[in-house]
Amino acid sequence: MSQLNQGLTLFLSLLVEATPFLLLGVAFSSMLAVLVDERKLIAYTPKNPVLAAISGSLFGCLFPVCECGNVPVARRLLMQGAPSALAIGFLLAAPTVNPIVFWATWIAFRDQPAMVFWRVGLTILISVIIACVFSVQKDMRPFLQPAIARYLPSPEPKPEPALVGSGSNLLSGGDFLLQSTGTLKLDQPMMATLGATTALPQQSWRDKAQAVLEMMLQEFRELGAVLVFGSAIAATVQVAIPREWILDLGQGPITSILAMMLLAWVVSICSTVDSFFALSFSSIFTSGSILAFLVFGPMIDLKNISLLLTTFKGRAVVYLFVLAAQLTFVLTLAVNLYTSW
Amino acid sequence: MKRIRTLYWPAVWDTLALLLWGLMLLRYWWSGRLAVLLHPDYHWLAIGAGWVLVGMGLWRGVTLFRPTPPSASAGAHIALLPRQWSLMVLLAIAVFGLIYVPRPFASDAALARGIADPVALTRSQPQQFARQTPPAERSLIDWIRTLNVYPEPDAYTDQPVNVTGFVIHPPQWDDNYLMVARFVLTCCAADAYPVGLPVELTGDRAEFPPDSWISVQGEMQTETLDGQRRLVIAPQEVLTVPEPKNPYEF
Repeated sequence: MSQLNQGLTLFLSLLVEATPFLLLGVAFSSMLAVLVDERKLIAYTPKNPVLAAISGSLFGCLFPVCECGNVPVARRLLMQGAPSALAIGFLLAAPTVNPIVFWATWIAFRDQPAMVFWRVGLTILISVIIACVFSVQKDMRPFLQPAIARYLPSPEPKPEPALVGSGSNLLSGGDFLLQSTGTLKLDQPMMATLGATTALPQQSWRDKAQAVLEMMLQEFRELGAVLVFGSAIAATVQVAIPREWILDLGQGPITSILAMMLLAWVVSICSTVDSFFALSFSSIFTSGSILAFLVFGPMIDLKNISLLLTTFKGRAVVYLFVLAAQLTFVLTLAVNLYTSW
Repeated sequence: MKRIRTLYWPAVWDTLALLLWGLMLLRYWWSGRLAVLLHPDYHWLAIGAGWVLVGMGLWRGVTLFRPTPPSASAGAHIALLPRQWSLMVLLAIAVFGLIYVPRPFASDAALARGIADPVALTRSQPQQFARQTPPAERSLIDWIRTLNVYPEPDAYTDQPVNVTGFVIHPPQWDDNYLMVARFVLTCCAADAYPVGLPVELTGDRAEFPPDSWISVQGEMQTETLDGQRRLVIAPQEVLTVPEPKNPYEF
């Protein structure tokens, strides 16, 4: 009975601590989606793959989104012609490299400020490496879902355009809207069409505020439920699993990292709040494994695989997953073995 | 009848979920139980979130009888869980949170978490210097931090001690020993870890049942307890005190 009480106190404490950060993350990602035009940003970013990867992974400072908000933004970036290195760098790093997550990690690991810098540093390093690997693939279209791929410009010299966009202003069958950036087809999926257009043009501030609130509510509803599951798992693991098992697992430099990466993948907790979750393991697990949890979780987890599949084909998601997992494992193992931290 | 027919049910559930979540957070604040869950430095975050959620609930409540079609940007959202599931989970937790009274961790939790050694396993290493406090003013956590820096018990012999904490009866100790302990919090109850010092009583420890709160005044001495040389409090006075408003130390 007392174990149950203990578990419930833990569970509620995680919820109470994480809710403010979840709200903050949801608010920023909604404002971003409604108010910011990414096309202008893309115009200013470098085309060199390495530079694009670096700037993409730092984009999160401007777009504080968690791993649920980053997929739609990365998709919009790709569809608006951003270099693939930029989009991939953003996709992997943005959930971690942003002010809200920085602050939350700082609060959670007040006794170990180094954790914050290791987390951000390793995330940027891994994201840039993977983004550079992906930039070798000049044409991203085979990696993307067809609905997204058809928006991407071909890297080869443009074939003679058929009807639209050149001299002729005649509308072809299925045409929908003529825009400065091209033509939107009526027969395309609604979601892709919405993603490709600038968010809600010509709206009054009142409408925009309404849209932001609407979206905040929608994201809070969904992510709040995920947070509840994550907190419940964390509390159960702490209370129900025999302590000796966890200690054995948590003290090995390799087993601890593998265990925490698996946990990060399964729990799928939002990056704005995952540091509080990890904190509950910090006294028994190696520092490298806590770092692995904090770096790997926001990149790929069970929850955002389904989100990634709305944009990327399965093959690309597997590449992302394998690369991110291997790099996280190797780098955090190096932290465990070669640093005294 | 007309009003009921135009009631927009999705908005009703949203409103309820938001209001109840907000109230849950605010209720912990009003009832003073927030201290059981959270470090006092972060209470304002939880309270602020409570007000924001209540505000969002009220905003959503306005649309109860005036259905607005979901805006275009909201339509682009990719749902992971079906909307009703998420709502039901949120509602259920809010109702539970409003009913349940969280309790601070107690002696059995401390025993389960392993309190015995002041030098714990991979306890997060504090990367700051603790200030030097005179022995009589040290709290339990100050004593443990001092011991972590310099663990030789003889160095503290005859120093005055005055600490408050809850009682633990470690099963392997004799009946005239108990432990006075506190949970230490960095951020929230999830990272709470117990610290404690042994007390050698003149009588039987049954006088102070587990989880009761005591204030101990006395002097430090070194003893061999459970095969280990340890710093032990030789009390001049042990008083039963009420549970403090904030049961944790920081």
